[in-house]
Order: sequence, then structure tokens, then C-alpha cells
Amino acid sequence: MTAIIQIEKLTKTYGSHRGVIDIDLEVNEGEAFGFLGPNGAGKTTTIRTLLDHLRPTSGRALVFGIETTVDPVSIHRRVGYLPGEFTLYDKLTGGQTIEYFANLRGGVDAAYQGDLIARLDIDPSRKFREYSKGNKQKIGLVVALQHRPDLLMLDEPTSGLDPLVQQTFYEIIREAKAEGRTIFLSSHILSEVEKTCDRVAIIREGQLVKVDRVDALRDLAHHQVELRFTGEVPVGAFAALPGVSDVTADDHILRMRVSGSITPVVREAARYELLDFVSREPSLEETFLAQYGPQTGKAA
Amino acid sequence: MASNIGRPAAAAPAASPVPLMQRVYGLGSIFAKTLRDSRRATILVGGVLGLMLIGIGYAIVSQFASAQSRQEMGDLIRSVPPILQGLAGKVVNVETLGGYLQYKYGTFFPIIASLWSILALSGTLAAEARRGSLEFVAAGPVTRRRIALEKLFGHVLVLTIACVAIFLSLVVVGTFGKLPGDAIPVVAAAGYAIWLGLLALVAGSVAFALAGFVGRGSAIGIAGTVMFAGFILNGYQAAIPQLAPLANLTWFGWTTNHIPLAGLYDWPSVVLTASLTVVLLAIGVEAFVRRDIGVTTSIPTPSLPHALVGLRGPTGRTFGHVLPTALAWGIGLGFFGLAIAGSGRSFVEQLGSSPDFQRLLSSIFPNVDIATVGGFLQLLFLDFGMILAGLAAATLVAGWASDETSGRLELLLAAPLGRMRWVVSGGGGIVAAIVVIMVLTVAGIGIGASITGGDIVTPMLGTLSLGLYALAMAGIGVAVGGVFGTGAAGPAVALLTVITWFDGIIAPALGLPDIVRELALTTHYGQPMLGVWDPAGIVASVVLAVGGVAVGAWGFQRRDLQG
Repeated sequence: MTAIIQIEKLTKTYGSHRGVIDIDLEVNEGEAFGFLGPNGAGKTTTIRTLLDHLRPTSGRALVFGIETTVDPVSIHRRVGYLPGEFTLYDKLTGGQTIEYFANLRGGVDAAYQGDLIARLDIDPSRKFREYSKGNKQKIGLVVALQHRPDLLMLDEPTSGLDPLVQQTFYEIIREAKAEGRTIFLSSHILSEVEKTCDRVAIIREGQLVKVDRVDALRDLAHHQVELRFTGEVPVGAFAALPGVSDVTADDHILRMRVSGSITPVVREAARYELLDFVSREPSLEETFLAQYGPQTGKAA
Repeated sequence: MASNIGRPAAAAPAASPVPLMQRVYGLGSIFAKTLRDSRRATILVGGVLGLMLIGIGYAIVSQFASAQSRQEMGDLIRSVPPILQGLAGKVVNVETLGGYLQYKYGTFFPIIASLWSILALSGTLAAEARRGSLEFVAAGPVTRRRIALEKLFGHVLVLTIACVAIFLSLVVVGTFGKLPGDAIPVVAAAGYAIWLGLLALVAGSVAFALAGFVGRGSAIGIAGTVMFAGFILNGYQAAIPQLAPLANLTWFGWTTNHIPLAGLYDWPSVVLTASLTVVLLAIGVEAFVRRDIGVTTSIPTPSLPHALVGLRGPTGRTFGHVLPTALAWGIGLGFFGLAIAGSGRSFVEQLGSSPDFQRLLSSIFPNVDIATVGGFLQLLFLDFGMILAGLAAATLVAGWASDETSGRLELLLAAPLGRMRWVVSGGGGIVAAIVVIMVLTVAGIGIGASITGGDIVTPMLGTLSLGLYALAMAGIGVAVGGVFGTGAAGPAVALLTVITWFDGIIAPALGLPDIVRELALTTHYGQPMLGVWDPAGIVASVVLAVGGVAVGAWGFQRRDLQG
């Protein structure tokens, strides 16, 4: 397989502040790769270094086999990028903004551009400053996608998008993947990565703690379940179920952690008179920080 | 069934109270944070203006140490026709230390303080609303009126501190004088400091009242225009009586007879200015209380034609982005030039009635017919025009810099656009914008000069010296932006322009060697309005413009993108 992104011993520091430390990573052609981590973990620093927006303190990164600091323009020609936070020209309309970025790339397929605008439900006639956060994000997505790049680098792409538009975005990503394009997507939303990615890297405090297939990550996922009974709490019945751990009872409330399928718990709960059944998927941070504590070593 | 609605929440652990000191200065209250945020500006304005007053005061008593030299200086000043007094103050008791200080320098200091007040009061609520932090502040357990008032009182207090520094400096200056009339009474020092503070505050209050309605940018533009227009109209109303009705609508006009350092007081005019200030500040506070947070009305401006929007590439985009700014500067400078050039006839007439002064000017500008529109513009337009051209360059550079400071450079440089090309294209866009400013300014000068009559080509060509200066300043700005970060680029150009301006004023007053004054690029263009060009200035400007862009491109290749 051809490696589209190769990161070798990459370290980036900002004076005395940590950016990323000794990152080694490869993303292959046609792969959808998720880059997960809590806020401040170093996701954006990594992406910005891949684009030569930041210069490595040590180590190096190659994209399409080109070292990022040597010929970034050749890399950019084939990349579509959506920053995590951005502002565009307040006085231009959305349409003018999209047109300008298309011109910077020497023009794009107008039909595809129009299709993206329609699918993301953008009104291109409004001034950029008048858009809501979600609509600004949509403009950024069109700018990143409109030239059909070989590599998409998306930094928290669904931030601010409503659920319907999120579905459209996932659809577009699936299409891009089906066309053989590579996707590098940073996120702190587990479900987003599950929906779109083949492999995932987890970064915490500037260091990679895990690189694996998404299927493996799923094993980390669990639910925090809370049942409120009308009568006695049957602790024993639930503690014995497969995947159930950390069972605690408090008055008429039973709390437990459920790994894997939740079906056995639902079946068991159906046998009792319940006032409430709450199942909560913990945040990614809770999930993988529970798994990879502060003393965790380097990537698996 | 008992309801929980309205029932007090369970008692929380007692919170430790915010220390009093932190509520006064620091992060303990909105007022305290306003003081904290303003500390550098307060030191800069109060300290720098205060020290300048002391330095200038000392220089005056050193240079004019005898009663005879004072008398000669007074006679010379009185022989200058009103049109040439221009933006200096009224000629009252100029033989005394205080009188001369107020005449020569006193009118300029409120401009600096006013600019600070406009920037501070336009942004104290509006800028915070725009960046979203006000959402958090307003969501706290404090009423909107209190938020506005705490911010307002914070600014008033720091302005007062700066005025106290100026007051104390004047008291010190008063001890330098050894001649009769040189003493500066406490009431005179206080009168000047109060006047300066009020002039600053009223200008800021215009911005404060408007910012909630039209946003910070427009509020700064309107307040700045009102302030500068008032200053210029008042400065020239003695020479051009037709300006008097407009000048007397401004606070500069109202307080024109309040010259405390010269021993002349007009307290009712100060009270009138204070009253207007209170009304405007009350409008600003009430607007914030009653209106939606962050919702402003755009001042309708005509859209640019599609071809001028600049969507084809980075040069065009930079040009399109800064074009409205360039048009505003060009129109402003053009009208300024038109007004000055068009009043040349008055100048020639006044010069004819003052043969002594005519002889003095002839000795300064030998072989040049000063009684021409070119000579007139050289004396009256060019110096101030240079400052405006430098400030225009600062805003254009800041417009280019906003690609990075706003974060959109992330997307621009993710396109196949090299870093060097971005800097060079930006430089090209700024040059094109300076050309626009020059076309409009030259047109204004041309129209004005044609009203006066005589040679109009020479002054029109001479006006291009402003363009050369702007190009040089822009080059410096691009270099600073490329090497150190674009956030510093616009302020660096503005600061350099102001330092250059003060260098021209202060260096001679302090008796510093000529080389200090000649550090200012503005001293190296010759007398372009009279057709006398100094090649050194032209070459230096071109080198700074081209070299600055080259250095900027080189520097930007070597640093991280800010974000």
C-alpha cells in the first residue's frame, strides 16, 4: 500500500509549551483515518505541520512522498483542508468566497461545486459575516472539497453542523472514499470516527497512545446505564450479566458499566417494573482516558 | 404535590469572597479588568505626553532664555498670517512659557488622547460583543447597565490618571521658567489637563454612543472623522472665515477661547463639552441596555463591481479587500487637498499684507516664488498629508495582515499558493491601493489648485511624494509582518508614522542635532510641491518599499503561521 502521509519522529514545541512529541504515523492511500484526542492534545498541531503551516522542531513529515517543508505547494495542490477554526472574508458573499478559492486552484468543476452547494443547502448570496456558525462551516467544507482533492484533511469537520447536514457530510465523505481518495479527519467525537474511518489514532498530551482499526476502538466503547426500580434493586441479577461491571446500588437506582452489546441488560430489565431506564454513551475522553490512563506509554 | 419551582437550591459551600484589591484592579470585577486591560495604554499616553511636556518645556526655557529672545519669538509668531498658523493654537501670550507651549504643541496633544479614547470606548462593548466574550459576561449575575457603567468608569478613571500625569508634568514645567509670566499656576495646569481629558472623552463618547448601533469599525470611522474634521475646521477658521459656522459646531470650536496655559479661561465652554459627553455616554449605556447584544446595523455602502472585488488571485483579493479603505483615505485626502489648495487665494492675499513674513519665507525658500499654490501647499498641506499618508499605509498593511490575524491564511496557504507569493501579491495589492489613494488626492489638489489659479501641474506631481512615503511605510509594514508576525505590521507602521511626526516637532524643540530630525524619511523629499525633489527620498522610498516586501517574503518563509 502507498503511504500518503508519513510522519517520522515528529516533535513540535512552542517555546516551553508542548505541541506534539515524537509522533510516528502512516496513513495509506484510499484510507479514511481518524485522529482522535481531547482538546489540546495536539491534533491541530499535527495537521498544521502536515500543511507546512508549522515547522517541525524535530523529525519530519511527508505527504505524497514530499517532505512538507521542502515543497508545500505541490502538496497543497492535491489537498483539501478544513481548519478547526477559521474566519473568511466578512465582506464577500459565500458564493464569492467559494469562487475565490476555486480561482486560487486554477478553477474547479463547476457542476461538482454547484452540487456541493446544493447538497449542503448553502445560500451563496449572503455575506460571510451574516452566516451562522454552521453555515460558515459549510462554506469551509465546500472550499475544502470543491477541487476533488486526493487527500482531505478535515479538522473537526462537523463542528456546528446540524444533524441533517452531518448526514450529508458523512455521505460526501463515503463517496470520496469510494473514489479512492484519502481522508485524514480529526475529531473528538467517537461516533463520527466510527461512521467514517477505517483506522484511528488516539493522541493525548502530544503523544500517540494508540493506532488501530476502528473495530478495535469499538471494543473500548461502553454505556453507562442507570435503572430506577419501583421496588427492590436486583443487584445480583445484573452483576452476573456479560459485559456488565462497576455495579452500584443507591436507594432504588442501579448503576452499571456495560461493555459491548447492551441487549442482555435490556432483556433483564424488561423482567422488572421500572420507573426509568437511562443509557448514556460516555464521551470519547471518558472512554479512552479510562482505558489509557496518565501513565500510558506510546502507540501500540 | 409540592412543587420544586422557586425553591432555593441546596446550600452550596460558602464561596470565598473576591478580595477588595482584585475588585479594584485585576480580574475581580468588570471595572477592575477594564483598568487592568488599559494599564499599558494609560502609561503610554500619560507617561509619554507628560514626559514630552517636560522635555519641551525645558527646551523652550533653554532656547528662549532672555526676555528679548521671547519678544522676538512673539513678534515672529504674530507676523505669521492666520492661514499659516494653521493647526497651531491661538496666538495668546506666546512670549510666556505656558502661552508658547499651548500655542505650539498644546492643540496636538488632545488628538493623541482622543484617538486612544475613541479606540477604547468604541471597543469596550462592541469588540467584546463581536468576538463573543460579551455573551459570557452578559450571562453572568450582573445587569447590562452595570456592565456598561463599570467599563465606562474604568475608562474614565484611566483617562483621569493620564490627565493627572499631564497636570503634574505641567506643574513641573512651571518650575523651569525664570522670566516674568513663565510660572504655570496650578489652576492653569489643571485647566489644561481637564480640557485635554474632556476633549478626549467627548471624542470617545461619540464612538461609544454609536458602536452599539453601527459596530466598532464604523463607530471609529465616524468618531475619528468628526474629531479630525473639528480639529482642522477650527484650525483654519481664522484664516478661512467661511469655515467658522461649521467649526463652531464642534467642541474644538466651542473651547477655542479656553487657553489655560496662556492664562485665558472659558469654563462655560468646558461645561458645554462635558454636558455633551454625558449625553453621548448615556446614549451608549442605554443603547447597550435596550438593544440586542451584538446586533448592529450596517451603514449602507455601494457594492463594488464584481471585477473590483478581486476574486481572480491573491493580488486582486488584497486589492479588493483594502479598496474600500483606500477609497475612504483617497476621498478624505482629496477633500483635504482640495480645501487647502482651493483657499490659496486667501493665502496670497494675506501674504501680500505681511511683507515681513514674505521676506522671512523668501530667505527660507530662496529662488522659489512662495506666493504660488505650490508654495502654499508645501507649507500647509504636505506635513499633515504625510502623517495621513503614513496612517493610510498602516490601515492598508493591517488589511493585508488580516489574512493571517483572522485565521483565513490557514485556508489560503492550504491552496497551491506559496508563502512568498502571498507576501509579494499582498505587497502588489497594497501598492495598487496606494495608487488609488494618490489618484484621488492628486485630483483633489488639481481641482483646488485650478480654483486658485497658476501652475497646477507642479503641485499635482509634488503630491506624489505622499504616495512615495506611503509605499515606504507599507514596505516596512510588510517586512515587519513577514518577519515578526502580521499582527504587529499595521501598528508598527502607525507607530513609526507618529514617531516620525513627533520627531519633526520635538527634535528642533529639544535642540537635538539635525541628524535626529533627518532620521525621518519625510525630511528627504525636498520641496516637491515647488518642483524641487530630493532624489535621496525617492530612492529611499523605493528601496524601503521593494526591500520591505523582499524581507517580508524572506521572513515569512522561515516562521510558523500564527493561529
